[in-house]
Amino acid sequence: MSVALAAARLHGPHIDWGGLSPILALLGGAVVVLLVGLAPRREVRRLVASGLALVAFAAALGCTIWQWDASKSIVSGALRVDDLALAVNLILVSAGAATVLLSWRARASGEAGHGEFYALVLTSTAGMSVLVAAQNTVSLFLGIELLSIPLYVLCATELHRSPSLESGLKYLVIGSVGSATLLYGLAMIYGATGSTDFDAIASAIASGGLASDPLLLTGIALVVVGLAFKSSVAPFHQWTPDVYEGAPTPITTFMAVATKAAALGIFLRFFDVALVSAQVSWAPALAALATISIVVGNVGALGQSSLKRLLAYSAVAQAGYLLAGVVVSTRAGARATVFYLAVYLLMNLAAFAVVVARERETGLGDDIAAVEGLGASRPWLAWPMTIAMLSLAGIPATAGFVGKLFLIQASADGGYTWLGVVIVVGSMVSLAYYLRVVAAMWMRPGPSLGATEAASPYPAIAGGSPEADPDAIGTSTPAAPPAGDGGPGAGAREGFQPEVVGLALAAGAATVFFGIVPSPLVDLARAAGNSLLGLF
Amino acid sequence: MNIGWYLAVSALVFCIGAAGVLTRRNPVVILLCLELMLNAGNLALIGFARMWGNSQGQVFAMIVMVVAACEVTIGLGLIVAIYRRRLPIDVDELRELQG
Amino acid sequence: MTATTFGWLVLLFPLAGTVVLGLGWRSLPGRSAGWIGTAAIAASFACAVVCLAALQSHHPGARQLTSTLWDYAVTVGVDARLSILVDPLAVMMILVVSGISALIHLYSVSYLWSDRGYARFFSYLNFFVFSMLLLVLAGNFLVLIIGWAFVGAASYLLISFWYRRTTATRAGIKAFVINVVGDVGLVLGTYFILKHTGTLDFVKTFNAVPHVFARDDGDLVAGCVLLLVGAFAKSAQIPLHTWLPDAMEGPTPVSALIHAATMVTAGVYLIARLHPLFERAPAAADVGAVIGCLTLVVAATIALAQTDVKRVIAYSTMSQIGYMIMGVSVGAYAAGLFHLMTHAFFKALLFMAAGSLIGAMAGEQSLNRMGGFRRAMPFTYAAFVVGGLALSGVPPFSGFFSKDEILLVTGERGGWHWILYVAGYAGALLTAVYTFRLIFRAFHGEPVKEATELEHGHLAHADHPFNPATGEEEDTDVGFPGPEHHIAERDPPMRLAMGVLAVGALVAGLVQIPKVDFVIDHFLHPSFADSALYEVRTKNGLLAVGLIVGTALGLAGVAIAYRIWVTRPGTAAAIQARLTFVHRLLVNKWYFDELLDLLFVRPGAWMGRFAQQTFERVVVNEALVGGTTGLVRAGSAAVRAAQSGFVRYYAGVLVIGIAAVSLYFLLQS
Repeated sequence: MSVALAAARLHGPHIDWGGLSPILALLGGAVVVLLVGLAPRREVRRLVASGLALVAFAAALGCTIWQWDASKSIVSGALRVDDLALAVNLILVSAGAATVLLSWRARASGEAGHGEFYALVLTSTAGMSVLVAAQNTVSLFLGIELLSIPLYVLCATELHRSPSLESGLKYLVIGSVGSATLLYGLAMIYGATGSTDFDAIASAIASGGLASDPLLLTGIALVVVGLAFKSSVAPFHQWTPDVYEGAPTPITTFMAVATKAAALGIFLRFFDVALVSAQVSWAPALAALATISIVVGNVGALGQSSLKRLLAYSAVAQAGYLLAGVVVSTRAGARATVFYLAVYLLMNLAAFAVVVARERETGLGDDIAAVEGLGASRPWLAWPMTIAMLSLAGIPATAGFVGKLFLIQASADGGYTWLGVVIVVGSMVSLAYYLRVVAAMWMRPGPSLGATEAASPYPAIAGGSPEADPDAIGTSTPAAPPAGDGGPGAGAREGFQPEVVGLALAAGAATVFFGIVPSPLVDLARAAGNSLLGLF
Repeated sequence: MNIGWYLAVSALVFCIGAAGVLTRRNPVVILLCLELMLNAGNLALIGFARMWGNSQGQVFAMIVMVVAACEVTIGLGLIVAIYRRRLPIDVDELRELQG
Repeated sequence: MTATTFGWLVLLFPLAGTVVLGLGWRSLPGRSAGWIGTAAIAASFACAVVCLAALQSHHPGARQLTSTLWDYAVTVGVDARLSILVDPLAVMMILVVSGISALIHLYSVSYLWSDRGYARFFSYLNFFVFSMLLLVLAGNFLVLIIGWAFVGAASYLLISFWYRRTTATRAGIKAFVINVVGDVGLVLGTYFILKHTGTLDFVKTFNAVPHVFARDDGDLVAGCVLLLVGAFAKSAQIPLHTWLPDAMEGPTPVSALIHAATMVTAGVYLIARLHPLFERAPAAADVGAVIGCLTLVVAATIALAQTDVKRVIAYSTMSQIGYMIMGVSVGAYAAGLFHLMTHAFFKALLFMAAGSLIGAMAGEQSLNRMGGFRRAMPFTYAAFVVGGLALSGVPPFSGFFSKDEILLVTGERGGWHWILYVAGYAGALLTAVYTFRLIFRAFHGEPVKEATELEHGHLAHADHPFNPATGEEEDTDVGFPGPEHHIAERDPPMRLAMGVLAVGALVAGLVQIPKVDFVIDHFLHPSFADSALYEVRTKNGLLAVGLIVGTALGLAGVAIAYRIWVTRPGTAAAIQARLTFVHRLLVNKWYFDELLDLLFVRPGAWMGRFAQQTFERVVVNEALVGGTTGLVRAGSAAVRAAQSGFVRYYAGVLVIGIAAVSLYFLLQS
């Protein structure tokens, strides 16, 4: 009787399984992959875990496409499923799948345990999906933490390598300061408006004349910092080069591409939905941050000799470009940002895939010397890298050019012409370091690799615990041969890596393709921009 | 009691946490200070929830507690991993990555 | 499949050929590169023919078909699309371009066989044909400009084909620079038009022109004159013609293809394509007519005194293009394009025959050293005579009908156009004289050593390969045309290509005989349906006068040449001695190079020197660049120094940043 009564009283909330399906696919995949990690044989763990992770990403991709053109709030308004969320989701899921491919032979996944590694990648992607769909400050914070915490671990997965650990700890400390700042800002916004819901915040600001309320503005300031931190906008970028360099390269790729897309996605949604009425207050500040970011990123990249550091500074500069689309707070701006995010995914995937491949081939790590002479010895790697560099610099006939064009136009139309000029000047400066990489590939003779490669084989799959290779402690180069490593294939120099080369080629080809035929991406970005209903 | 007092305490806790992160070199203590910063946010959230008379801030605070616990776990795990590599437990010594 | 599908296919084959040859130049065995290139263009020509058939099945009022492959950037404010416009004008052009190109490819299969850059040559040549087809198929200004620039680039590559010959690279650079001047004119002109019409699309522009522009509107005239600058540069009209004679440094098939049949006619095509603009701006059209007329006379006079075989033909080309430019500028669109077609036949034929002749002379190009090849090279001689008669406008060869029709329509316009009419006939007389001067000097008279040797079956070989322009010795890597020489008498592909063209030069005129048939007129009509001038028909009196005068002048010219250079060989020297000044003027090409040098190059060079020595060294290098690079370098160092690696330091910067941003926001409240 009482049971029946309780059942009658209990009205479970309506759950839109369809809308949640991409996130469910990712999290379900994470659980399954984690369980597979308990399998007794290492090779089974490696193959099945990564395979299942790919399946989970594919499922998430399918669900995202299935939900395309939806426009609904789910989970009592905590999340919003619309084209903006879905478009960014496509980018995130692609980045995740690419990370799985790049990690296939990586040391990191072996050292951390394959199940754990891929489960963390899946969880982090799920966090990003939550973040871009967040329509409530609670889900915003939850999404940020869900994406960051697995990343802290992933950065530190190359346990034998102290830079990896260092980068994990640095990211954790600085990231937590950023999170706390964000939380405090969200609390203040809640205090000023009395709600955690984006729409309710927007209407409270508009109707209550809160646009110059000190509490709200302080809150906005802290949220700006928190999100700027996640998208590595200067001057909150300082973790970026160190963490990018220290983390295992596949994870660096994931951070560079996916984290940025998620952070910019929530930038768009939070600032262009919840805070759109206070645009006059925050837009100049964001524009200033974008400028600082473009300057610091481009200038900082000039003197780098590590490709990962170079790409990290480039990421800082690109974050500045992307922010321009948020600043103007128009649909054109949102479109331009989403378009550039998609392009950014392709260019960075191509570049990082080449870095991953060369790291394993040469033993020179991610130093620029690793790509010297690549044009002659490995044209199939040199071309994607060249395309990526030219596209990042914004050379015509690459997708990066079209993306920059849209961003500049959006800035000019939105009354921030000077920001467009800054983007142009920044791109000109950036040519100096991007072309340096291109020149190294095509104009310099290759390093005498025959000897280097033979002398320092870098194992593809270094299974086993950190204790298994004590010699590697404290060495910063990944070239150190592990002593007594029992992993299958260990000691064998990595030769042909079809999945990495294929990924680089596909991303490079797509970069050129969308530079010449941008319309499919434009359609995607247009749908995403149009889903921000409050803008015009 | 005026909301201002709650906010003042919360801000003070936040600043203590921030100052701790800046001045201490032991990562364990830094983790403690990060907890302080997060809890300062919680305090503010609960204060505001009482002010507005709705429960959203309280729910938020509960979720933040869970998140904070996760962060500390990860942090401690990292510290253990560093210790096992016999690296110094001092954030100032960890500066191989720079430039 | 529709006509536009075949239009795209016409573009696809040469592009595919370029890519295949460009990638496979190292590995293609034997003559396969040549055959692949030829096959690609032949396929393109076949598609053009099918395209013609498909177009003709449409109702005459609906023969302007636009097809868009994709939108490049419609959202950026202009409608930048990759689109082609298939209409009778475009189809006629693709037929001429692909047809003549196919024959020239065929000719080159033999002609360049012994050259080391065989595959490279065909890759360039296919690229050129692709660019030219893109130009004539363009459906909007953007694609036109792309094709225009590609053509210029391809021309540069082909002129400098023997890139270790300094005269060739210099000629290539000269052609490229002048073409870029034209490109700039074209782009600026497009901008003037676009500013008012707001569209790049041709059809939309033509529809908008009557509404947005008044007659002789200032911006429209300026725009059209700038477009004419582009046309003059491509078509080698005064004063932008000086690159064309120098461009003869390229291999002879290149001269036949680019500098006779296709590229130089781009200006004519441009004016015909944009006729609604020019008819709305008669002032600009008059500029075109006057310049065309001036060029045809001046170039014909220069051709009288040149001694380099290819240069004579080059000046003749300039002169004939002058006719066409004049024709399309006065509204004789069908006649101008008709002449374009016939000229493509006979001029390509003349160049090919000249190539054969140069082969027989082992690279020597000077008329002074030639003579008496009539018996040694009967086929080449016949080809030369057919081409020469067509060029001179002797009936019933093709040039006769087309040239006279241009002049008839010009005369029909009345008023000051009579000056053009008379000058055109004067030019016709000169044309006949210089053409047969060339033929008589090369093929008649005493056989030179090479000719007698050839009669005995020995093809001449120079002891050392040398540069025909300067006489310097060279190595065979760049050498002309490789270690072997090729003449039409011995190479079937060359002979076949020349034979087809000779037939064309003979009968192509028959498609449009006054009062008998009007194939070209009717075919092109849908493209010019909106033209007020197209319907002008010749009065019978003028027609008869024109036909008689044209015939008489052509024959008279041949007779004069025969008298001067065959019956009384000393006459030429006597005339030269009496008219020293005129001769020197003509030999020095009316001093156009020197004039341009004085007017533009020297002031430019002086300004460049000033800029480099004073401005750049002091202002730019020391103040701007030094300052900027110093700043950037310092900034880079600062950023890297800030990246100290201390976590706590980063947290500190973060907190300072938080404080700064918060302060900014608090100041807002």
